[in-house]
Amino acid sequence: MKKVRIGSGSAFWGDLLEPAVEMAERGDVQYIGFDHLAELTMALLNRMKLKNPKMGYIPDIIPWMKKLLPITKPKQIKMITNAGGANPLQAALEVKNVVNDLGLAPMKIGVISGDDVLPYLDEIRRQGVKFTNMDTGEEDIDRVREDIVAANAYTGADEIIAELKNDADLIITGRVSDNALYVGPLMYEFGWDYTDAYVNQIAAAVTIGHIIECSACVTGGMSNMWRISERPWKIGFPILEVFENGDAIVTKTPNSGGIVNTWTVKEHLLYEVIDPHNYLMPDGIADFSTIKLEESGRNRVKVSNMSGKKRPDTLKLCIGYRDGYIGEGMVLFPAPDALEKARFSEKWLRERFKLLGVEFEELRIDYIGVNTLHGEAVEIEDKHYNEVGMRVAGKAKTRQAAEAVRREATHLWTQGPIGSSFGTPMNVRPVIRLWPTLVPRDAVRTKSQLMEVK
Amino acid sequence: MKMVQLKELAYARSGDKGDVCNVGIMAKTKNVYEFLLKSLTPEKIKAYYKGMVKGDVEIYPLPNIDSLQIVLRQSLGGGATCTLRFDQTGKSMGPVLLGMVVEADDALIDEAVNAAATIENGTY
Repeated sequence: MKKVRIGSGSAFWGDLLEPAVEMAERGDVQYIGFDHLAELTMALLNRMKLKNPKMGYIPDIIPWMKKLLPITKPKQIKMITNAGGANPLQAALEVKNVVNDLGLAPMKIGVISGDDVLPYLDEIRRQGVKFTNMDTGEEDIDRVREDIVAANAYTGADEIIAELKNDADLIITGRVSDNALYVGPLMYEFGWDYTDAYVNQIAAAVTIGHIIECSACVTGGMSNMWRISERPWKIGFPILEVFENGDAIVTKTPNSGGIVNTWTVKEHLLYEVIDPHNYLMPDGIADFSTIKLEESGRNRVKVSNMSGKKRPDTLKLCIGYRDGYIGEGMVLFPAPDALEKARFSEKWLRERFKLLGVEFEELRIDYIGVNTLHGEAVEIEDKHYNEVGMRVAGKAKTRQAAEAVRREATHLWTQGPIGSSFGTPMNVRPVIRLWPTLVPRDAVRTKSQLMEVK
Repeated sequence: MKMVQLKELAYARSGDKGDVCNVGIMAKTKNVYEFLLKSLTPEKIKAYYKGMVKGDVEIYPLPNIDSLQIVLRQSLGGGATCTLRFDQTGKSMGPVLLGMVVEADDALIDEAVNAAATIENGTY
């Protein structure tokens, strides 16, 4: 039976490079997918592109490709990366230079773009589409329209499949959904299409793509299995061995660190999912309630019996809009009376803000080591603490008000209780708030082109 | 019957989608799953988190993997990009839930503790 081996080489902008290199060297894979885009990343990349039209892609793609292409080219491993971000074409041009410099031509680079809906957002609205906020239920974007800085659709595998058919060695995309980076090659290899005949196979691809798309998060990272993960400092990234019916083995690069067992797979199956019976992705809707997991060897988990429904008519659209500023400060207090010192400092800060007349939309003060993560779920215990930290964060309409948080927190250095300790102050940051919504699939103008490096 | 923290019975991992936090609860045994399915309710979970969860709580059962998906709406201060929470993406919400105390049969607790010993030995 035909099988395809595909691995995940990156989960976010800043992920480790070594495990991807090791996967290329000895993972026996045909494809590696690279995700570099989180929800906020597109807004940041858009801002970079506005400042400089030759920016806006994930700069890591250059060192990554320098290291990886010399390994993947002779082995004919195809890589699919969404590091193109807000500027896939420029990213491809930069990679073209890398290919030439390393003498790796000829090479074909598929470039996929068109996920950026911002230029024609209003045109879509004029057709009667409303961008209802999926988090808050607010009906449309009128209130925030002027402040919108990004609107990117999470696109599917269609163009990836097209570029694989064009024989691309490397595919660079914009905001293609991380999931499609894996669904695309599987649909291409097995000849699955979006007709009713392949609904369950594509749902399987959506499911197993989801299982590996966060790299180390299924191989022992971020895991309840952290105690028994082997050599976690040398973690291996995940690899799928996929069969024609959609069943697969989840494993990782041979002789790498980390762990893959049914627990790490369950952890990731549920991760960042809302309704597990309807996991909506651009290429299909997966239902996780039929999946069967069994260990089939050391660091090998067989996943089978996956099912789902046809792909939705809408795509997720992530709109980002400017929404004020956040200022932060942090001070640590030693015993004796560490908690009391933190309480004193909270009062001091609140009085200062009152005196200054600073207006915040929201102000939050946590005691580090006490309730920063547990919040209201815990009662604060009046007991001996060796040390307690105080973190203050304030959100305001103006940069000036947010600056007051940082500035007043630093004044605690000289005016706070004895022993108040501090590090480097944190910069105020502008807030891009996200407006998650849906857009009709047909309204999104995705496109792809083949760049040949000769 | 004994009072026990959820951490003895299940594993948890949490993450974010906008202002929604999800907590995957993985029961350590099939019997524990059946028990959690009955004893964990949206009301109890919302009450446990107190003010941290402002919206609805939903629970999706997954008997095929002995797990529950718990969805906490409006729980991340507006979402990672604009929240004032230190834990912007809700990674700690799962472990925090494992501190919840429930009343369970002694035999069930023993079963879960033994299962965990085997799992975390890496020898099962």
